[in-house]
Amino acid sequence: MNRRLVIILILATLLLYAWPMLGWLSTLGREPATFATYAPSTPVVDDKPFMVEEFINPDPGKGMVHVGSICELPDGRLIAAWYGGTREGAKDVAIFLAIKDPGHPTRWSKPKRVVDRISASRELYRYIKKVGNPIIFAGSGDHLWLVYVTISAGGWSGSSLNVKVSSDAGATWNNSRRLTLSPFFNISELVRNKPVPLSSGGFALPIYHECLGYFPEILWIQSGREDGAIAFRKSRMTGGQSFIQPSVVAYGPALATAFYRCRSDEKAVGVAVTKDAGVSWSEPQTLDLPNPDSAVDAILLSDHRILLAFNDSVQNRENLRLAVSNDRGADWVRIATIESTQGEKYSYPYMIRSQDGLIHLVYTWHRKRIKHVVFNEAWINARMKRIAK
Amino acid sequence: MPLGFSFVFPFLLIMALLQGGAGLLGRDLCGWRPTLILGLISAFIAVTPVGGLPLARWMISFNANFSISLTAILFYKVTESSFGVKLLDKNDLLTCWVFSLTAGVILYPMALGLGRFDPYQAGWGFSWLFVVVCGVTILLLIMKNRFAVVLIAAILAHNLRLLESTNFWDYLVDPFMVLVSCIALSNRFLRKLSKRP
Repeated sequence: MNRRLVIILILATLLLYAWPMLGWLSTLGREPATFATYAPSTPVVDDKPFMVEEFINPDPGKGMVHVGSICELPDGRLIAAWYGGTREGAKDVAIFLAIKDPGHPTRWSKPKRVVDRISASRELYRYIKKVGNPIIFAGSGDHLWLVYVTISAGGWSGSSLNVKVSSDAGATWNNSRRLTLSPFFNISELVRNKPVPLSSGGFALPIYHECLGYFPEILWIQSGREDGAIAFRKSRMTGGQSFIQPSVVAYGPALATAFYRCRSDEKAVGVAVTKDAGVSWSEPQTLDLPNPDSAVDAILLSDHRILLAFNDSVQNRENLRLAVSNDRGADWVRIATIESTQGEKYSYPYMIRSQDGLIHLVYTWHRKRIKHVVFNEAWINARMKRIAK
Repeated sequence: MPLGFSFVFPFLLIMALLQGGAGLLGRDLCGWRPTLILGLISAFIAVTPVGGLPLARWMISFNANFSISLTAILFYKVTESSFGVKLLDKNDLLTCWVFSLTAGVILYPMALGLGRFDPYQAGWGFSWLFVVVCGVTILLLIMKNRFAVVLIAAILAHNLRLLESTNFWDYLVDPFMVLVSCIALSNRFLRKLSKRP
């Protein structure tokens, strides 16, 4: 290399690094994204306690279903997603959606297959062995996001995350987009819990890593400038091998509590807090609530109490209970047993609060069906009063 | 753009394997004509559908982000076998192995869960990683080390989003590159050891 070439290459290097630096400089003046929905949209006029149970999918016979999620569209319709097939990991496993109109309060539409390994393989243009863990959530307007897992080799540790977006409330979907989130063959990234909307219009989606380490992370995801484009990055909530599947409850622009599934011998629900809108999280602690290495989910009530759905056992998933905390998760009162049958499994609870103030809980029922339980805060308050007596 | 570029690494790998195989059979494939024929055969193999997917995309199914450094090393090997031209000298290669191994040692243990700090985060947007690699590149250019050109290719590929990943780390290093660097440095060390009286 002669001297002139060296000078040209140095200038080229500086120019090439100036490009990402300019992008970074343009963001400096902007307010950092904060949690957008930290208080329920409207205070609920409590009337009579209300609680109803139903199944979303028909009985699959010998098949299985798992990992249900639910969201509300701007017009009040509910949309649920889950995966199912003849058995977990079977080649016929697909991701299904069902819709419920407000006019038909007890009837869910016939499940519609939205992704299977063949369509994912076609859209991602690579070999896909299986699909799973769909999380559905609504963006602005009629935009719907579906984040799901695909595996090309191995078991769940070989998972990668993918995104599909619909701009017509789930009628049609764009092609899946693979997210590269790990430097090690882009594997071991999974999703289970609902996102927290951000002031920037994006989402903080809790995800987790499970390979050599098992730890919770946040996927920061945003629609790109061009239609169909997305921007994303991830950050770590904590390291180690003990806590996964974070469920994040935001109660201020910068304040939130995360509840974790616990894999360690402590066998108790984990908890951590952030005071800087998810940039950093406290060291995880354990609550006085048991956890048999199973998923939990939490939401904020209109008076800033926290409602938690969890398996109340250190051994199994034979029950599903609700607990309420008045002090941001320090102390809990068990208010209801949603399910309890010896030898059966009730798992992966997922809760949202709809615009009408109703709370929707979906979970895996006997690994056969996705159950939908709807109740209002009056029902929660009535349960609290009964326990207080 | 990434879809087309995803065929480059598999194409180079097939070509390098064919050249290696020919070498084992004692065939000399140096020159324009054998290179052109080998290139066409490699391209054909890369796009040949197997089970509905081109062979190259099968490779991408299991690792979608072969780093620019590894691609450059493969390109170096192919051009050396094709034309007898050494694009990188011993010193450049040594720099490449040391850089890749260092990057791997910094990145992988922590990215896979050792501690709370995740260096992989630094690969999105603009961060200390960009400043460090820019500094290393300029230093290597001043030292007239040609591995700097590989690093320039990495930032160029990142800005053009040639890989599926949007993270700068994936353009610099990948697990195979770390493995290759480990083997190359071990060989070098063992050779030096055996030369000692």
